[in-house]
Amino acid sequence: MLRVSGLARRHREASRALFTDLGFAIAAGEIVALVGESGIGKSTLLNCIAGLDTPDRGSIEIGAPAVDIVRLGEAARAALRARNIGFVFQAFHVLPTLTVAQNIGVPLLLAGVPPAEHASRTQTLLTRVGLPGFGDRWPASLSGGELQRVAIARALVHRPGLILADEPTGNLDPRTASQVLALLLERVRDQQASALIVTHSQHVAESCDRILTLTPQGLQ
Amino acid sequence: MRILVSWLIRAQFRSRRTATLLSMLAIALGVALGYSIHLINEAALADFSRAMKTVQGEPDAVIAARDSAGSVPLQRLDEISRDPEVLVAAPVIETRVRIGSLRTPFRLIGIDVFSAAAMMPGLLPRESERPDRVGILDGGIHASPALLAELGVQAGASLTLLRGDRRWSATIAGDVPAAGPDDLLLVADIAWVQEHFGPPDAVSEIRVRLAPDTDAAGWRTRVAALLPPGLLLRVAADDSERASNLSRAYRVNLNVLALVALLTGAFLVFATQLTAVAQRSTEFALLGVLGLPPRMRLLQVLLEGLAIGLPGALLGLGLGYALALAFTQLLGADLGGGYFSGSAPVIVPQVAPACGFLLLGCAASLAGAAYPAYLNLRQPLVEALSNGFSARPQVVRNRRRQLVLPLSLSLLAGALLQLPALFGLPLAAYAAIALVLLIGIAGAPLVTQQVFRWVADWQLPAPQRIALQNVAQAPLMAQVAAAGLIVSFALTASMVIMVSSFRVAVDHWLDHVLPAPLYVRSKASPLPQDLLTALDGADTPFVRVERSAHGALTLDPQRPPVALLVREIERSNPAARLPFSGALIAPPADLPVVWISEATHEIYRMAPGQTLRLPLLGREVEVFVGGVWRDYARQFGALVISRDDYQRLGGDFRPSDLALWPRPGQEAAAGEWLAPHALAHGLEVAESAAIRQLSLSIFDKSFAVTYALEAAAMLIGVFGLAVTLTASVWLRARELATLAALGFDRRMLRRALMLEGALIAIVGLLIGLVCGIAIGAVLTHVVNPQAFHWRMPLTVPWLTLLAGAAATLLAAVFASQQAARQATRLPLAQVLASSQ
Ligand SMILES: Nc1ncnc2c1ncn2[C@@H]1O[C@H](COP(=O)(O)OP(=O)(O)O)[C@@H](O)[C@H]1O
Ligand SMILES: [Mg+2]
Repeated sequence: MLRVSGLARRHREASRALFTDLGFAIAAGEIVALVGESGIGKSTLLNCIAGLDTPDRGSIEIGAPAVDIVRLGEAARAALRARNIGFVFQAFHVLPTLTVAQNIGVPLLLAGVPPAEHASRTQTLLTRVGLPGFGDRWPASLSGGELQRVAIARALVHRPGLILADEPTGNLDPRTASQVLALLLERVRDQQASALIVTHSQHVAESCDRILTLTPQGLQ
Repeated sequence: MRILVSWLIRAQFRSRRTATLLSMLAIALGVALGYSIHLINEAALADFSRAMKTVQGEPDAVIAARDSAGSVPLQRLDEISRDPEVLVAAPVIETRVRIGSLRTPFRLIGIDVFSAAAMMPGLLPRESERPDRVGILDGGIHASPALLAELGVQAGASLTLLRGDRRWSATIAGDVPAAGPDDLLLVADIAWVQEHFGPPDAVSEIRVRLAPDTDAAGWRTRVAALLPPGLLLRVAADDSERASNLSRAYRVNLNVLALVALLTGAFLVFATQLTAVAQRSTEFALLGVLGLPPRMRLLQVLLEGLAIGLPGALLGLGLGYALALAFTQLLGADLGGGYFSGSAPVIVPQVAPACGFLLLGCAASLAGAAYPAYLNLRQPLVEALSNGFSARPQVVRNRRRQLVLPLSLSLLAGALLQLPALFGLPLAAYAAIALVLLIGIAGAPLVTQQVFRWVADWQLPAPQRIALQNVAQAPLMAQVAAAGLIVSFALTASMVIMVSSFRVAVDHWLDHVLPAPLYVRSKASPLPQDLLTALDGADTPFVRVERSAHGALTLDPQRPPVALLVREIERSNPAARLPFSGALIAPPADLPVVWISEATHEIYRMAPGQTLRLPLLGREVEVFVGGVWRDYARQFGALVISRDDYQRLGGDFRPSDLALWPRPGQEAAAGEWLAPHALAHGLEVAESAAIRQLSLSIFDKSFAVTYALEAAAMLIGVFGLAVTLTASVWLRARELATLAALGFDRRMLRRALMLEGALIAIVGLLIGLVCGIAIGAVLTHVVNPQAFHWRMPLTVPWLTLLAGAAATLLAAVFASQQAARQATRLPLAQVLASSQ
């Protein structure tokens, strides 16, 4: 569950505000696509929601019972991300010094899931994203599509209520992209999570429950 | 969380094995040096007090003369023995005698067997089973087992004892079973010793054991107040304090070296962790996005530092223990310093000091990791995730603010240098040295930026210029690389400056204190009368003879005694023989005058122009302080008094040393003339050139360890440069790839990187030289006077320093060539493709 209201953000050296009064909500289990021109502020919005950027005004309530991440301190934001948010990036961002299984295990460690459950949860997700037996491999030996599957597994393994994906298929070729995206949507639906997915692909947007378009005038 | 921390630490070690290992080793070396010095010293002190216990027992008080020529009158013994609170009062006469043809004198202790049985069981003699034995009361003497072994004789053997020109025959009646394996001593009946060696109607010491219920402190205060000025009352604690004072200053030097190693260790941790933070900024940002608590970004880096420091310190403890064992076996307890006699002491490690040194090693590594950890905490997550590390390039606009830190640190260092020594150690000066290094590092950004912007204005080929501009914009890695050289070169240069100032000063000083071509010395006993008489004759091959006698005065029972030199010196012109460091003040005609060494001046706060009461010749004598002279030989202080003054005071002038001026052309004859005397009385004859050479070679030997460590420090500095340059190339891989894509070929890139390395090295060496001179001045003008009471002018050996700098620069260029080679091996196309 996510409720954004009255959000305003203007970067310090920017000539204009990215948004001045943004409001929308995503229900539990709902998957929403966010589209808009490059540089319009989609990543900034996602960063605000994840507590990585602080809006100038407005509130962002996450989960039930709702917590306004804007009002939280840095440590509490990190804790909220660790418990309740899964993130997928355009540039994969898999830790090269950890094995695939360790990469997927990181959110479990951060969320404080009992260690006894780690192995089984990691294995289950590896199988679900189509990478059974990849656990002990190093990221350097994986292809882009495989890396993004690892990233998806990592975003879901701690069963967060909210998934944020910033152009998750932007670095993949079209065929792999659609496979990975289908996988992401499927898994998010499995877990009954809410999701906000930034994408440039019309095809992707159409497979979501709803489409939000960010324009200089606001959301449409 | 613990699992994640350990994963990251392991990954860190995997990817930076050499740098991590080297940092660990440097920390280990620092801890090892410090710990072994501590262990050796503890062992030496324990050994000393064990030996004291053997010889002296465990008295509640000792009454002795302050002047080594003085003694305690027997009448005092009677008084003390009659005191109802005194259980035992044991008189002792101690002197030194030579045995046969051996030059080294041995201790001869005269005891009263009955009181000794109660007071000093360690000295009790055991008679041999031989039928022809001579009892101790009949003049039989007893030798400690160590001395018997040294002489290769057994009970029943006959010994010739010599002192001055007198000799006695004595029979060994048995041994001293409780004496330690290092105790080389003879024990005889006190009456026998008194009869042969004196002093008449007096003893050297009275050792007192009080009745069980006595208030010992009160008794001591009461009795001490009644003692005449020539006598003092000591307690056992004073003895150990004195022993620790003996070696304290010597330990200072070794401690500085340990500090150097620890600081370089801390720097290596700093360089390793900073490059690690820079290289992993994206990873840390990702972890932050995934929900890693912000404080963990700080903690993780600190923990990684600790993961280097803790094993390093543990290794250091083991190494320190091994070093202590090895050194004591090879050199004895004073590492060749000459303060403690005897063979290898037993090293017994204890928990608390070991923990202390463990903490010190950890603290050094944490200090090194602190700034990288802080930078890691401050990384903006979103930017770091997409653009990597941002070192927050310091914009030149706030140059004023950049000056604030170095300036305030300088003020603090200046204030620290005003502080006196703490616990006899120049601790504040050490802190000031660390601050000077910090100032150098903190000031490095200014200089680096300036140099690089200045060079960027040159008419250079495009690739070089672009590469240099990059550094000028984001100089963090350049600063780190420079910082390594600053630390290592500053420390090395400072040691070189200190040692060379010292050596030059000692050289000058030797000129002044060895005016005669020939010297004769009799160890610990007066020169034989027949030699002195012969020298007074008209037909000697000498134009001039100067005699001197050496004694000792205990001014403070907790400190080693001050040397008392009675010399044939002119009251009106002492400067002809003594190297005065300040003005000479003409004494009033009716007062004896003493000239004090710098150490006496500083330890006892005596000053020229003062009139003092000194415990001379068994009484308190009023003397005038005529001036302060430089003395590098006796760091616990020395007083010179002229023979005339000494005799006027009633002193018995019994010279033990001679300075001789042979007649021109008769140098060989002089040697022949002295030879029979030297042979008969075990005298040492040396030419001043030989003494001088020996002194300087001892000096050089004692600083050999220093040179080895300096070399190690420089290697570490150059290695640090290589590590950071490679890392900076790695960090700028994307930039370099872009340049390559724009058409710069690998050779151009390589040249640009080498130029960069050379420039960084020059900056580091320049700042290092300035800091080195500053630290050298601190060592010379503050540490040396505080620790050793040795003052000397600063001499900067420019040639050596510049040669060292040139060699380092060469090594640095070579290191940057290696780094550049790595850079050109980067798969540039791949780097370019993988970046967005
Ligand atoms: N930290 C920042 N400081 C200043 N401007 C920024 C910062 N981050 C992003 N911007 C600007 O904000 C605008 C929106 O960026 P972003 O949210 O990344 O857009 P999008 O993801 O829609 O392409 C861009 O014009 C960008 O230059
Ligand atoms: Mg974006």
